[in-house]
Amino acid sequence: MELKYALDEEQKAALGLKETEKIAYAVPFDLVHEQGTEKSWLVVTGDRLIVMERENASEAWKCRQWFLADFQEVKCEHQVHCGIVTVRRNGQWELVCRFSMRHITRISYVARGADLIAKGEPGTVQSHEYERYCPRCGRAMPGTSKCPHCDGKRVMLRKFWDLCQGYQWKLLAISLLMVVSSLMSIGMPLVQQRFIDNVLVDKSGDMQDVVAFILTLLGMTVILISVNALRDWWCSKLGAMISLSLRRRLYNKIQLLSMSFINKRKPGALMNRVASDTRQIRQFMEEVFGGMVSTLVTMAGALIFMLILSWKMTLYSTVLIVAVFALTKIFWHHIHKIFHMQWIKDDKMRSGLQDVISGMRVVKAFGREQYETERFAGLTDEFARVQKKNEVFWAIFYPILTFIMGIGSYVAIYFGGLDVLDGTMTTGELVQFVTYTGFLYGPLGWMTHLPRSVMQMFTSLNRIYDVLDEEPEIQNIEDPKEFRIHGDIRFDDISFGYNSYEPVLEHMTLDVKQGEMIGLVGASGTGKSTLINLIMRLFDVDRGMISIDGVNIKDISKESLHGQIGVVLQETFLFSGSILNNIRFARPDASMEEIIRAAKAANAHDFICKTPDGYNTYVGEHGYNLSGGERQRIAIARAILNDPRLLILDEATSALDTESEYLIQQALERLTAGRTTFAIAHRLSTLRNADRIVVIDGHHIAEVGSHNELLERKGIYYGLVQAQLEMAKIAE
Amino acid sequence: MQEFEFNEEELKAESEQLQQIRYLTKENAVFARTEGGFVSLEYDGKKYDRVGVYRMFPISDPEHYISIREADEKAKEIGMIVDLEKMPKDTAEMLREQLRLRYFTPQIEKIMDIKDEYGYAYFHVLTNFGACRFTIHMGGDSVVSLSDSRVMLTDLDGNRFEIPDIYRLTVGERKKLDLFI
Repeated sequence: MELKYALDEEQKAALGLKETEKIAYAVPFDLVHEQGTEKSWLVVTGDRLIVMERENASEAWKCRQWFLADFQEVKCEHQVHCGIVTVRRNGQWELVCRFSMRHITRISYVARGADLIAKGEPGTVQSHEYERYCPRCGRAMPGTSKCPHCDGKRVMLRKFWDLCQGYQWKLLAISLLMVVSSLMSIGMPLVQQRFIDNVLVDKSGDMQDVVAFILTLLGMTVILISVNALRDWWCSKLGAMISLSLRRRLYNKIQLLSMSFINKRKPGALMNRVASDTRQIRQFMEEVFGGMVSTLVTMAGALIFMLILSWKMTLYSTVLIVAVFALTKIFWHHIHKIFHMQWIKDDKMRSGLQDVISGMRVVKAFGREQYETERFAGLTDEFARVQKKNEVFWAIFYPILTFIMGIGSYVAIYFGGLDVLDGTMTTGELVQFVTYTGFLYGPLGWMTHLPRSVMQMFTSLNRIYDVLDEEPEIQNIEDPKEFRIHGDIRFDDISFGYNSYEPVLEHMTLDVKQGEMIGLVGASGTGKSTLINLIMRLFDVDRGMISIDGVNIKDISKESLHGQIGVVLQETFLFSGSILNNIRFARPDASMEEIIRAAKAANAHDFICKTPDGYNTYVGEHGYNLSGGERQRIAIARAILNDPRLLILDEATSALDTESEYLIQQALERLTAGRTTFAIAHRLSTLRNADRIVVIDGHHIAEVGSHNELLERKGIYYGLVQAQLEMAKIAE
Repeated sequence: MQEFEFNEEELKAESEQLQQIRYLTKENAVFARTEGGFVSLEYDGKKYDRVGVYRMFPISDPEHYISIREADEKAKEIGMIVDLEKMPKDTAEMLREQLRLRYFTPQIEKIMDIKDEYGYAYFHVLTNFGACRFTIHMGGDSVVSLSDSRVMLTDLDGNRFEIPDIYRLTVGERKKLDLFI
């Protein structure tokens, strides 16, 4: 997103910039005071925060200004469907400006930027988010960086051509088939004309001529059908091949991309790109691409022949084509609209039904059956009414449309008939001409859909290339270091936020020695998991440095780092496959003895042996049903087998019954021995073995120390422990 | 470092306190405008430099049941005002100002044009805030009927627009809306 718009000379003059003063951020906003939607500007320079407003374009800009050095804090506050910027000066909050949701993301970044300047911290904020609207045409962007309408089209055409690279011969062959198919279509009326004029009208031909005509026509039809079938077959194959290769490239890319890219998008959106956007391309190749060229060539050919036969008649019969095209377009547009409405009503009815059926217990418990029945009856009535109306419309108007589509032929027959009577045209030529008119009018309905199909294809292509063109943010440096990690970790004044306007961790410094177990404690959302993500280098820190054994984490090869980190998460994710494959996920070359030893250390061996298929038991979706504790122990075995140098336990023992928790505790103790470990836990009893406990609160480290030290200090940790003890008492 | 003493009594008292409904009236609460453009409050021997003014029923009853809350992130409730009308005139006015600051839902008075294109609908309307163009997703939950005649639209950015009564629109305007309701 743009955070520094270019200001014009008049605006710059109004700002009254000093020589050394540079504009850091400049963004528009829209709500002035309580009313009005005139465009105003929020400008941040190295020294000042300036709001620039005017009532209308003819007036001079009026500026309100503040000095950043006076501020303790600058904040963008979310209100209800709008936002405000507030500043704290001399301990008092002041309102700076107000804006609608259109500007809130942009202004959040700028407020954070101003806050950094006010606090004298280095760095500028940048936004990697895409613009929501095309800056040029104002259309909504379908989640892409480029507008498919503006700069998208030419770029996408080239990309489409790139896609077809490697399939040139197929394309050439398909084009050839298309031309042959068009020639056949155009040629048939020609043969008819010869037959009518030379054989039928003259009555000069014999049986032989009739048979020859039938055979020629039959032959041409057979050729046409086979050529079209072959064309469609190849088009489908080409489409399938292209979408296959796209899907593979997309999947590879998604795996390569950093978590920050994936986090910014909903999982559904990415899945859609792999599944439905590639399907869209395939459908285009199959259904539109093949027909498109042949139809256009056939239409052009038909027009040429019509002109040769009689330019005057061509003029008469095509003069209506624009009107018919417009009429068809209106018809299809309306049809689309009313059936879309039907779809909406259908959707409403379905979700209403689903609502009631899944909430049946509640409905019955509160005795609301009658009310729900009436409500549902209302929904079905509505749907039935719309459906009936639509079907009637279709039944009446589609035949009328078909009649209108044939109108060109009637015109041709009228004028052609006159010409034939005059003797300026032969009967055969008339028949030929009328057939060509049909060629011209027939595809009109289909042509009204064409722009939509092409645009849909472009949008899908755009969305796909958006992912393919993305560069992974976290990359290995050239010549990254690979070494066996000893386990000393240092956080050196690190700051990080998923969005640069929203810090999660600020100025954190911590030294961890090899073999230490660090317990991370804090309310949810304070940044415990974030810290762990940073150690795993799923994200890079914004400022400061994390080092392992004195080496900056950015200099270590990603593969080497990840190979030496073991992770046990709260929600154990097991892949579809056998237990065996799940345990040796990180080390496929492990021997059976090693796997059994790991499973025993994880207290998993016994329950695995008791399952009918032992280590070959299939788990995952639709697989053998393992309990939470059992899954957890498999995950621990997986971590043990990998012999990690760093261990991360993220709520590894929450939500387990007491027995499995005990077994897992034991397994974890074996696992953590001698390894640098970071453990997040809500249940503080799990952390009693921790060497040090780090309490994170308000983006910072609030307390560090051993369990006993922290209890003596009677701070946040003490409070948490007391609270849990009380809760345990109440539970008993 | 923050002092944190766990005290069951205190916790119980706090949860009791949450249960209570505290009414702010013209007798017990003094509101005042701050220089920064917000509102301060003196209530029950405490002075709050800035308070948040929230509606409990923003859609069905915007003038009644106003919750006055602390201005920090936790936004603990200080008390509630049942009826703004019953407050002194200038107090009611300054609280309404705060409500207008916090809530933003333009009302659509006239529909100039709706164009739908590739899954988005582009609206050009006249609102009580002036002329406005916005874009919604076709399908999904962008348009919600609050009653037979009242409609709420949410655009791509998350702005809300209200049509208080579709029958006050002309037939032509309603026709344009047909696809969405």
